[in-house]
Amino acid sequence: MLFPAALGLGLPLGIGLAAIGSGIGIGFLGKGAMEAMGRQPEILPKLQVAMIIGFGFAEALTIYAFVTMFFLQGRIG
Amino acid sequence: MDQARPGRDILDRALRTSWLAALALAATVAPGRPRDAAAILAGQLLAFLHFISLRKIVKLFTEGRRDPRLALMIAAKVTLVYGGLAALITLGGVRYVPLCAGFALPFLMLFLKSIMLALGAGPASLTARRATETARSLGNAAKPAVFLLLLGVAVLLAFSAPPGVALAGEAAHGAPAAHDAAVTHGAAVAHGGAAVADRDAAVAHGGAAHHNEEGAAELPNWLVILHDFNPGNPLVSWLEKNQVIVFAWIAGLLFLLVSWLAMRKPKMVPGPFQNAIEWMVESMEEVCGGLLGPQIDKHFPLIGALFFYILTINMLGIIPGMKSATSSLDLTLALALITFLYVQFWGIRNLGIVGYLDHLAGSPRDAIGWAMLPVMLPVHVLGELAKPVSLSCRLFGNIFGEDTLIVVFVGATALLIKASLVALAVPPMAGITALFMMLQTLTSIVQALIFSLLATVYLYMMLPHEAHAHEEAHETH
Repeated sequence: MLFPAALGLGLPLGIGLAAIGSGIGIGFLGKGAMEAMGRQPEILPKLQVAMIIGFGFAEALTIYAFVTMFFLQGRIG
Repeated sequence: MDQARPGRDILDRALRTSWLAALALAATVAPGRPRDAAAILAGQLLAFLHFISLRKIVKLFTEGRRDPRLALMIAAKVTLVYGGLAALITLGGVRYVPLCAGFALPFLMLFLKSIMLALGAGPASLTARRATETARSLGNAAKPAVFLLLLGVAVLLAFSAPPGVALAGEAAHGAPAAHDAAVTHGAAVAHGGAAVADRDAAVAHGGAAHHNEEGAAELPNWLVILHDFNPGNPLVSWLEKNQVIVFAWIAGLLFLLVSWLAMRKPKMVPGPFQNAIEWMVESMEEVCGGLLGPQIDKHFPLIGALFFYILTINMLGIIPGMKSATSSLDLTLALALITFLYVQFWGIRNLGIVGYLDHLAGSPRDAIGWAMLPVMLPVHVLGELAKPVSLSCRLFGNIFGEDTLIVVFVGATALLIKASLVALAVPPMAGITALFMMLQTLTSIVQALIFSLLATVYLYMMLPHEAHAHEEAHETH
């Protein structure tokens, strides 16, 4: 397989796989946060901060894949 | 304790640090060039004598008595220091550069110490006083000052790597076609009237050719349009080439203007504008203070400046004709490096060199800890180095991705209008674009918040957790 063809096939696939991972992570985070919120509504402000930080970490993985794609995009054609 | 004479305290500390630095420097060059090492030490010794005798002279002079020791001291100082320097250079055959380096070390240390003092990082007695002063009366002045410093470093970093070139060069090096594509695309925009539509023709063209990332990936801002209408003007083309810096400056000036307008005449009972700004700053401080504890007073100028600066830059991209400067990796990397250096500086400052190394080694306390040292040390160092990379890539990726998304939908709308499918184009496509713009607002706020919160968390990991330990002890009781 040619290098550009492999790259053209692999880059979107890689982003998709990374997005699955962070989607699962963010989903779990949101689920936990919602449950905690329902149980103890008074911890809402503290919870939101922790949740947003967790979202940031989980989302960063997809962003790494995205940045990798951006770096390698020029070699496809 | 030593509040009466802060200058002496600073001088003592600077001299002590400069001796350490001179010894370290001499030890590094000693194996290869022992003569240079000796010259550095000699220069350091002379500068040390210079400061010591200068202090004696100042003390004698300010006491006001006509003391014969004063003249003696001055003569001794001149003979010793300047005579020593001259003798070393002419007779001793010492090389000039290391001697000067050694002589300059205490001055450099004094300079650095005073800068640290100005930033609120001096000896404990001084900083405690300064911190409260800053919080009470100088708060409004200290924040723009830190912000200006930040902006200066950002601009310096951005200048060292011309914006747009770093990424595009890396992506398409060895592909001169990219340049050609950019040129033809520029021409395509220049001869058309409606910039957006032609730009999107260029988007389609660039997508087909797979070459033209930097031209195709963003909507035209007013600098690009200005450049297309005045292709020959050197000033305009300079602005167009450095548009990231220009938009970062615009955002910074906007930020300064708003905070100046709000805090120009602070009142006890604030008006609506001042109230809004105060609410924003206070709620941000509350959120970060929940993580960092009482030390937030000292660090909020940087964290708050980061948050509001990034927020301003991100929001600027929503205005048509403007651009988010954070959609360039250069600027986000500069901001992340500032955060990194700040965190490491406070880590060393609070833990001490030994405690910092201990922290990096994972605080080995038993045999297993020491046995794991060769593994833990690289892991922790890599973890520290990964922080700025992840900070900058996260901000850049989010903002850039959001911009690209909007460009794609605007491009689709423009293509449909060109194909005279107005009924299909305007309601659904424009609606989707507007929706994504709302999403962009949300992303801008959340990303600015995440950047500053993560900076707070990294800082928290570096600082000693006295308050936290105290809280836990309190809870267990």
